Amino acid sequence: MRGGILKVYYKATFTYKIIRALEQTVTELISTLGQIVIFGIEFLKGLKNKPTTFKELMYQCYRFGVTSLPITLSIVGMTSIIVAMQVAGEMVKQGAGNYVGMLVAILMVREEAVIMAGFAIISMIGSSLASEIATMKVTEQIDAITVLKVNPVHYLFTPRVLAGTLMMPVVVIISSLVGIIGGAVASNLVSGLTFKAYFDSVWFGLNTHDLNVCIMKSFAFGFVISLISCSCGMEARDGAKGVGLATTKAVVWSFVAIVIVDLIFAAACFY
Amino acid sequence: MSIEVKNLVKTFDKKVILDNISFRVDDGKILSIIGFSGSGKSTVLKLISGLLEKDSGEIITTGGDIAMVFQYSALFDSLNVFDNISFALQERKDLRGKYTRKELEKIVAEKLELVGLSGIENKYPSELSGGMQKRVSFARAIVTEPKIILYDEPTAGLDPISSTLIEDYIVRLKNETNAASIVVTHQMSTIRRTADSVLMLYNGHAVFEGSPDELCREETPYTRQFVEAAIDGPMKMN
Ligand SMILES: Nc1ncnc2c1ncn2[C@@H]1O[C@H](COP(=O)(O)OP(=O)(O)OP(=O)(O)O)[C@@H](O)[C@H]1O
Ligand SMILES: [Mg+2]
Repeated sequence: MRGGILKVYYKATFTYKIIRALEQTVTELISTLGQIVIFGIEFLKGLKNKPTTFKELMYQCYRFGVTSLPITLSIVGMTSIIVAMQVAGEMVKQGAGNYVGMLVAILMVREEAVIMAGFAIISMIGSSLASEIATMKVTEQIDAITVLKVNPVHYLFTPRVLAGTLMMPVVVIISSLVGIIGGAVASNLVSGLTFKAYFDSVWFGLNTHDLNVCIMKSFAFGFVISLISCSCGMEARDGAKGVGLATTKAVVWSFVAIVIVDLIFAAACFY
Repeated sequence: MSIEVKNLVKTFDKKVILDNISFRVDDGKILSIIGFSGSGKSTVLKLISGLLEKDSGEIITTGGDIAMVFQYSALFDSLNVFDNISFALQERKDLRGKYTRKELEKIVAEKLELVGLSGIENKYPSELSGGMQKRVSFARAIVTEPKIILYDEPTAGLDPISSTLIEDYIVRLKNETNAASIVVTHQMSTIRRTADSVLMLYNGHAVFEGSPDELCREETPYTRQFVEAAIDGPMKMN
């Protein structure tokens, strides 16, 4: 009797609630991670059957690589203009004007372009992938695919994840270019640095190792973003609310994931 | 080409939805499952089609493909009617590339004619009424000529004439292909026109099993309440 009362009391405490909440968060974290890995393996397994058409792949590439460009380019371009504006004047004053282009180029190619493009792609394409698949899930369209004996992971993931992986480097290269050009214009306007001095220094600063890492990183980001977004969509349940939750989850998980991938690349390639 | 279910148990979050359900459907027969909203009718179909995992019991299906017509149509809203109906023929691993565009067009036109919707191949699901969506989903399900067909409320939300059309087609398909079918429905007309036998679910149990005639004779309190749609009776909502 006494024990019973104590038990009820314990369950009403904050400590208990916090522990429960923590426990749930950790369980969910692990299960989501597990699910993503399982979907990833399933996706790779499906590749050998060519489960998509060229047309569908092209459509997804267009969606991933073209429709996202305006926002990606403005974010990356703007960041580099801001950086150039902040440092160009100072550097020219200190006699280091010859290094402005190099600074912007290295910054762009090593980090800015890929991480900013990643953030833009997540918020625009990742969220739309997740909500699209989540809606299909909660309206039983995924069940319908399964009953028609088509593997929904192969059918839905293949064009989307492939397009994501292939298009991300394209997006990143274009945004790096735009970023570097933006930096040139900004430094010219702010501190009168000539374009020739700027671009000479850009050429001096760029090297193939950085470019290779940048491209590999873009492939990885594209793969991770599209895989996570599709997976979170697949896991949706319970109607409209579930679609919202899945989308949020896709965005948050993708953000965290690309930062982790970035960290891994930084550790592996520059140290 | 038959379905046999033995001692099927299914729980969701510790709530028992199906408690020891058994039945069988032979070739060329139609079983109608009836029961209150929430009594687990859709769950039975999803277990048979493999969309859900059972807790215990046995489900034995023999024959070819299992097709399912979903309660809320579940049409692919990013694909037009043509691609919806020919989905399995275009995307299934063993069927992909087997049909030319011409052949697909012919098959789709045939199926659309069957459900009385000729010429809507290029429309998208959002451009169709609920009843039309239902009929398109019917056409999509039967495109591979399945031998086991599960219908989840195929006539719900249809006008009486479209209902009759679908009911006649369910029977015709059964006669032609000797398929074993299960029809979940709330409509007496559908039961009368299609069913060879009726199973009534309540609280996880089968509370009636018999022919449509026996159901209409209202010999048990359950069947009486269902047929008369009475509020008073052994079955309570919640
Ligand atoms: N995926 C699920 N997770 C948890 N509970 C579920 C799930 N699917 C169904 N249920 C529960 O199982 C019960 C039976 O659901 P089901 O959809 O089979 O009912 P039904 O007989 O088809 O009802 P209706 O006539 O309204 O379609 C309901 O109480 C429902 O809440
Ligand atoms: Mg149902």
